Amino acid sequence: MESLLTAIFSGTAQGSIYALVSLGLVLVWRGAGVVNFAQMGQAMFTTYIASQMIQNDYSYWSAFVVALAAGGLLGGLVDLGLMRPLTSRKNSQLLNSQSMRNAIPIIASLGILGILKALAGIIWAGEERGFPGPVQPNPISFGSTNLAITSFDLFVIAVVFFTLLLTTIFFTKTGMGLAMRASALNPEVTRLSGIKVSWVRTLGWIISGTASSLAGLLITPRTNLSPNTLDLLLIIGFTAAVVGGLTSLAGAVLGGFILGYVISFVSVYSAPENVFIAILLFLLFALFVRPQGILGSKEVRRV
Amino acid sequence: MSKYLNLKPKVIGRRSSILGALLFAFFIALSAQFGPYNQTQLANVSMLLIAVLSITLLTGASGQISLGQGAIMAVGGYGAALLVVRLGINMWLAFFLAIFISALFGLFLGLAAARLSGPYLAGTTLVMALAIPSIAVRFEGFFSGDVGFSVDYGVPPEWLSNLVGEITIEEWSLYAVLPFTALALIAVLNLSNSRTGRSWRAVRDNEVAAALSGINISRSKVKVFVCASALAGLAGALYGFRGLVAPSVYPTDLSLTLLTAAVIGGLRSIGGAIFGTFVVVYLPDIIEKISGGLEISESIGTHLPALILGALLLLTVILNPRGAAGSLEHLRHHKKH
Amino acid sequence: MLTIKNLVTQYDSIKALDDISFQAKPGVITTVIGANGAGKSTLLRTISGLERPTSGTIQWFDKELTRMSVEAIVRGGITQVPEGHAVISQLSVAENIELGGLFRKRIARGDLAKATTEVYELFPLLYDRRNEPAGSLSGGERQMLAISRALVSRPKLLLLDEPSLGLAPLITAQIIEIINNLCRNTGLTVLLVEQNANTALKVAEHGILLALGKVVADAPARELINDSALRTAYLGY
Repeated sequence: MESLLTAIFSGTAQGSIYALVSLGLVLVWRGAGVVNFAQMGQAMFTTYIASQMIQNDYSYWSAFVVALAAGGLLGGLVDLGLMRPLTSRKNSQLLNSQSMRNAIPIIASLGILGILKALAGIIWAGEERGFPGPVQPNPISFGSTNLAITSFDLFVIAVVFFTLLLTTIFFTKTGMGLAMRASALNPEVTRLSGIKVSWVRTLGWIISGTASSLAGLLITPRTNLSPNTLDLLLIIGFTAAVVGGLTSLAGAVLGGFILGYVISFVSVYSAPENVFIAILLFLLFALFVRPQGILGSKEVRRV
Repeated sequence: MSKYLNLKPKVIGRRSSILGALLFAFFIALSAQFGPYNQTQLANVSMLLIAVLSITLLTGASGQISLGQGAIMAVGGYGAALLVVRLGINMWLAFFLAIFISALFGLFLGLAAARLSGPYLAGTTLVMALAIPSIAVRFEGFFSGDVGFSVDYGVPPEWLSNLVGEITIEEWSLYAVLPFTALALIAVLNLSNSRTGRSWRAVRDNEVAAALSGINISRSKVKVFVCASALAGLAGALYGFRGLVAPSVYPTDLSLTLLTAAVIGGLRSIGGAIFGTFVVVYLPDIIEKISGGLEISESIGTHLPALILGALLLLTVILNPRGAAGSLEHLRHHKKH
Repeated sequence: MLTIKNLVTQYDSIKALDDISFQAKPGVITTVIGANGAGKSTLLRTISGLERPTSGTIQWFDKELTRMSVEAIVRGGITQVPEGHAVISQLSVAENIELGGLFRKRIARGDLAKATTEVYELFPLLYDRRNEPAGSLSGGERQMLAISRALVSRPKLLLLDEPSLGLAPLITAQIIEIINNLCRNTGLTVLLVEQNANTALKVAEHGILLALGKVVADAPARELINDSALRTAYLGY
């Protein structure tokens, strides 16, 4: 019973972070047709920025805000400086081939990832360091029994739910949100409606960068911070996005929580070493059993 | 010479075999001039080149992107090491068996990959790159965990020492690897100029058109995965026998380094693969030489090569997606006119 | 006044539009007719900026369109209703309409509300189904929605690409009638591309006949409608 509660609570807290990562990936994929493998490299970098600020005696919250802003900025820069020129360019012999047009942005995102990791290594020496949360991870007790959840977990869940609420309002209630959904679904009709689709795409990169930066801030108090810590988060987020269908925002969030429970149940009931293999198997299972994802529709999957 | 190093239909089998033999002789002659350090580095180039060639086939010739070639190297490495350590099989035989093991692995991977494309394939292979080394830790009893297996090329056979005189360990590991590299080069050249190679390029450029002209897309993809995995597995076995087969020898970064080498050299060119491999292996040395006079901190020294490789990768895809080989061809083209 | 001069648009080496010149008068319907592959759609796509011409000019009064972006052309009052009832089927009817006027939200919020009310009055059917996904509409309703999306942007020039495609004659007639009324009452200029020459020539004031990317006839619509030689040669009936 106690281990079941542990698995559920830790699954919810972890899953909410994975949901953010997966949301970030899906936002960019829907808008720009690119899976951004540099996403968690960007988040790693902004978390280092926050860590540096806290070291220099700034408050946690000012570091928090700066990291989120830096995440958005970095996302926007990646699009404007790299992805937009890459995807709009014509007439390169290599890009005449279908498959290479898909491959080039992926390779470019790996280049960004490599650069960000190396830069973090150079600036912050690359060794693992701790990263604080705003609250101490004290166990929450109910009556006399300690629940398997800490105050930090509650903070994570609250922040993510608040973020998801804001995102939902943004997408369903605002004109900009409508423009983003429309651009992803049918860029041509959206352009013919007078909307600057390329800028809407950039906004997608900015939101994605901010969301993953938030994920970085929320996960590192548990995992510590090093240039490679967030690699695992990227592949979990990717798996979650595929489980959710890669094109559905709601699916991405749902996929994140499913992955959270899968991973926490595997590490509680089996062993933490099995997590990697569990992710791989789960990904393959998702790809072959339901390739369109739980909330994706079949015709929109770009295969 | 670079004319024949590009993947072009006009290169015929015999020429490529001669080329392979020449390159082999060239390396041997070259290696005698160098000290043990450069011999080790050249051996690294020869091993990694085989893995980079697997990307030349996979991405360059058939348009499939894999971020997990390092993991397939691990499959080959563990395969060979297990055969030698657990079953006491002869090392050379183990290398060939490692090729089969990884080709079999490639068959499964290819069957999966035939249903995936672009980002799905890239993501899945990346997950694989992280998951496979962790299997070694999970099944510690069989794969011997983080410690891994200590394996090496042994001592040079007597007949060779009698033939060419005293052979150092470094020379020996280079000589042991070179025939495999030459074989791999010949195989890749012949493959890409064969009917199969042409069908791969057709699938790469336009899947629908290729299917309409009678190419079985899935079979074509499975085939290229089998061939590429065989190459990567061989590279992994050779790479492991430098001394250690363990998860730390085949990290995720290895997969990315291989991709970097293939891209900056030119994804569609074998000459490019050779150039790219030299760049990734020798870049740390070059940087050290250039910055030798300057006082740079340890963290910069450790991470500068990765930074420059990342920057080179980006610059290549932005400015010149056909890589170094592409610009070479471009230059030659301009001279003619 | 829409003035097109020596317009050439190429796909690789094929000239889809080969030296096209004509004018469309303001406040009336000008129709562009021609068989499949004559270059009609390419013409509209080039005017909208979706395709870049190799040479030639497109002028809307004194504005040169060939260098403007798609979005700037729409914002300049030229809106296209693309072929095939182009609506975004996953969005609701109301969202599709909102999308058309989104870029005016900040500059003319009051008028946007008015324009939205107007299109709902024009197509009351859409108002009843405003919360349903556009994908659930019938072909005719979708075409009405696509036109509504264009109308809320308050276009000066409306480019219609084959509105009759796949629709029953009765519905086509209804839609064409509404467009005709708009022209008369609001001074809207319409460039109507149609394969269905009869329907188009009946409402249009002027007709342009395209064949293999070239203008082969440029005359008042009532002259074209009676020219059976031309019809047999280029439209095949």
